[in-house]
Formats: sequence, C-alpha cells, structure tokens
Amino acid sequence: MTNSIALECRGINHWFGANKVLFDVNLKVGRGQFLSLVGPSGCGKSTLLRAIVGTHLPNEGATLVDLAHGVSEMTPIKGPGRDRGIVYQHYSLFPFLTAQQNVALGLKLDQTSIPFRLFQYPKWRQLEKEHLKLAAEYLEKVRLKDALKLYPHEMSGGMRQRVAIAQALIMKPEIILLDEPFGALDESTREDLQRLLLQLYDQNREAKKNGDPPPYTLIIVTHELNEAIYVGDRLVGLSMYWDWKKSGHTRCPGATVVYDRPSPVFEPHEIREYEQFEKQREELRQQVFDPTRLQPIDQFVTYWDDQKHGKTTP
Amino acid sequence: MIRRSIDQKTKILLGILSVIALIIGYTYLSHRQQQANPQDTTIPSWSQLKDGVVRSIEPNKRSGERWLLVDSQATGYRLFLGLTYGIAGSLLLGILMGCFPKIEAFLYPPLSVFAKIPPTAAVAVFMVMAGLGTPMYVSMIAFGILPTMAIAIYLTVKSFPDELQFKAYTLGASNAEVIWTIIFKFVLPKLIETTRLMIGPAMVYLIAAEMVFGDVGFGYRIRLQSKLLDMSVIYPYLALLASFGYLMDFTLRRIALWVCPWQQQH
Repeated sequence: MTNSIALECRGINHWFGANKVLFDVNLKVGRGQFLSLVGPSGCGKSTLLRAIVGTHLPNEGATLVDLAHGVSEMTPIKGPGRDRGIVYQHYSLFPFLTAQQNVALGLKLDQTSIPFRLFQYPKWRQLEKEHLKLAAEYLEKVRLKDALKLYPHEMSGGMRQRVAIAQALIMKPEIILLDEPFGALDESTREDLQRLLLQLYDQNREAKKNGDPPPYTLIIVTHELNEAIYVGDRLVGLSMYWDWKKSGHTRCPGATVVYDRPSPVFEPHEIREYEQFEKQREELRQQVFDPTRLQPIDQFVTYWDDQKHGKTTP
Repeated sequence: MIRRSIDQKTKILLGILSVIALIIGYTYLSHRQQQANPQDTTIPSWSQLKDGVVRSIEPNKRSGERWLLVDSQATGYRLFLGLTYGIAGSLLLGILMGCFPKIEAFLYPPLSVFAKIPPTAAVAVFMVMAGLGTPMYVSMIAFGILPTMAIAIYLTVKSFPDELQFKAYTLGASNAEVIWTIIFKFVLPKLIETTRLMIGPAMVYLIAAEMVFGDVGFGYRIRLQSKLLDMSVIYPYLALLASFGYLMDFTLRRIALWVCPWQQQH
C-alpha cells in the first residue's frame, strides 16, 4: 500500500503575544486516513485546526494540500477553501435552509455564481433540481431521507450533525475536519454517529481493495479518548508536556506532536468493548496528558516508521 | 391566584364587552353634551360623526377637494417613500457595517449620535436641506428611522456565527456570495421585524411635521379641525390611522411567515 499524502502541516508555530501555543508542528495526513487528534485542554488543538481550515493562518509554517493528487507539488493554503470541509460542534447548519438545501448549498456556491443565478434563472432552476436530487442521495447516505424538508431548529442535535457531515461530504473535499463534532450529543446518539464514520472508513477499505483511491480523509478533534481510538485509524496527541528543556528552551515553547501511532480499526457493526482501548488509553494518558512527565517526543511519534515496517495496530 | 389562565370563551366575551362598554360610554357622554349644546362638536353624536365622514369623503364646498382622498394620497406617498429609502439605506449600511470593520469604525459613532436626535426636532434641518414639501417629509422619515434601524441590522450581522461564515467559505463561497446568499438571508427576519417596529415612529414623525409645515395630509387636517374643535372629522381620521397601522403590522407578519418560514416556531 502506497501512502499518498492528502494534507501536510509543515513547521507550524503559533503564539498569541507571549502565550506560545504551537511549536514546530509537523504532520502528514495520508489519503484515506482517519486521524484522531487529542490533547489536554488548552494545548492548541483548535488553533491547529483553524490553521488547517485556513480561517486563522499560523504565525509561522504552512499547511499544504494535495490538490493535484500527487501529479505536481502540493498547494499551500491561503485561506478557507472548498478542498477542506469542516463540521463544527455548534452552528453546524444554516438556520434558514432545510436539511436538503443545507446539503445542496455547497454545490450552489461552488458551481454557480450570483450573476448566473440572477441572469440565467431558468438554467439555474434546472441545475438546482439536480443539486437537490444529489443532496437527497447524500442525506440518504447518512440515513436521513425522511428529514429532507426539516429546518435545523426542527431537528435533534444528532440529526443536525448528520446533515453537517453530508454537507461536507457532498463537496468531495480532500479532507474533512471535525471539531469535537459529537461533543454536545448524548451517549447513544454519539455512538450512532461514530458508527456512521466507521461506515465511511469501511468504504475507504473497499476502495483500496479495488485499487481505487480511498474517498474519505478525516481529522477528528475530540477530547474523548475512547472516541478517538474507536473512530480513528491513527492517533495523534498534541501536548505542551514534553522535554523542551533538553532542546535548550527555558520555558515551554508551545505544544507539539508528542504521540503519533496507529490505532485499531473497528467494523461499524462490531460491538465495542472499552477494555480493548485500555492499553492505548493508558499510553496516551502518560505521554500526552500528564503534566508531570515531560518525556522525549520521538519515542511515541512512530506512525510512519510503523507503516514502513509493516506494523499496524498495536 | 393571579396569572391563572382563563378559557377562550370568557376571553372573547370580555373582549366584546370592552368594546360595548366603550360604545355605551361614548354615546352617553356625547348625549349629555348634545343636550347642553346641540351645536357642540367636541364629543360629536353618531350622526355628527357620520356627517364628518361624509364631509371628508365628498368634494369640499369651497376647495372642491375630497379631503380624505388628498390627505391619504399625500401622507401615504410621503410615508411610503420615506420608509422605502430609510429601509433600503439601513439595510445597506447595516450590512456594510456588520461585514467590514473599517466601515463600522467610520460610521458607527455618527450613527449612534444621530439615533439620539428626535427627527421632528431636526425637521428644520431637512427643510433647509431638501426644501419644503414632499422631499422634506421623505428625508425626515428616512433619516429618522435610519440610525436605529441600521444599528439593529448591523448588530444582527455581528451576531452571525463565525462558524457559519467559515463553513460557507469551505463550501466554495466568495465574499460577495457570503453577503448575498448567507448574511442577507440571516438578516431578513430582523429587517421585517424592525420595519414593523419603525412604522409607528415614522407615522409620528410625519404627522407631527405635517401639523407644523403641511398644507395637505393627515397631520395638517387634524390640526385644522382641532382648531375648530371639530372632532367629527378627527375621530374618523384617527380610526383610519389605527386601521392602517394594524393592517401594516398584520401584512408584515404575514410576509415574515411567507419569506422566512424557518422562523415559524421560534
């Protein structure tokens, strides 16, 4: 299996005045990976995600996206764009559009312009019908085919997040970023949605089997370790607790990647047992979340080495 | 116990009762007045009121004008133009201020000052600037409602969640599309609501200015008839103003339901 890189963070440094947040964050996300990003609160997960979305570019460093699919150089991002989809925890949908219109919105914004919609109105209406049809198909994919005409305020939190996922999927972006997407949901709805993500991962494996490029690449930011291990096939820990003294700093220069390892892959229908996660959870707690242990970082940043040596899940 | 709900039948009955009480009370008062002086028009009898209505509808003996017609035309036209310019201007300014911090920094201080000036007090300014007549009234209404309304819309744009704006960009929107397709839609309910709220003040400004400067219009007629103490014309005029206000409110609420269906259950 060759790993083509969909997105790369190169030497990202960020600070707010004297408050150092990110220090030399380097991350390559392979196409088809489901990467879970965890870290203690205040470690800069959101800052890194914003840097990747492009709404708040980092002070130093760059994020590059493989727009040409490996044919030519990767493109550095300058701002938010249609190649990177996002699902937020709150305000995930446009309140004035139905589920179907919300999902179709991306097609409208991306494929048509204001003058086209105004001056070639009949043509636009024709196109809109196709957009809505496609949107309905995507909503069926996230098992919401009965909710097409509902407005966001008429939907439950879980339904809204499903629509938001469909809204991102329909754009076929290079990568989809999920920022604590299920944080506000109750446990059973949350599990339901996690399973939905695993179904997408299933389609990735299906595609790989057929020799096609996997359709979905994902970064999910979460504070729930079980979720991180369950949904992702790769675990990345961002933390300010690392041995920065050894590299000559007098104070912590910011959070960096201190943990990067494969994580077990689950089938969507498999019953999940938290005991399975115990070992890796403990590893994460010690390496990423423990402020008293400032450990060297290279020991647990082994994902690509593991790949090279054919090691997969721990 | 206070604040306990009552059933629908009692509610309607009491409503009807209040109207009947009003009619009876008025009839009694006017009857007493008529007995003291049959020529009196301060509390006109029902037949005098009818005469007043007829007098406002039929061509006037001296001028040949139909009062109600010319007054409604003049006042309606001024109000319509004033509101249209005012609403259009505040929508434009509000959205620009909400979207562009430089415009915001430039326009917010003067607007917040202007919002505090009563437009009727500044009517002389509009007379000097726009000249006597329709332009004066129109500019007074427009500039009278603009500061408050523009700030209301600007605050709504400011309250638009960043996440949704960012998401629109990740869905391939340009700046213009975010404003036109997203922000405008988001602001629409607020626009209709503030319009509803501003019709009252706009009417106050206009009638007051017409009372001072007018030679036609509701305010002018009411002032003339007040001087004559002839309430038989004033009461129908007031009733007409009330029904107009009520109708506008009703229409705008209907429009809001129709253009902003997502607001229904809020």
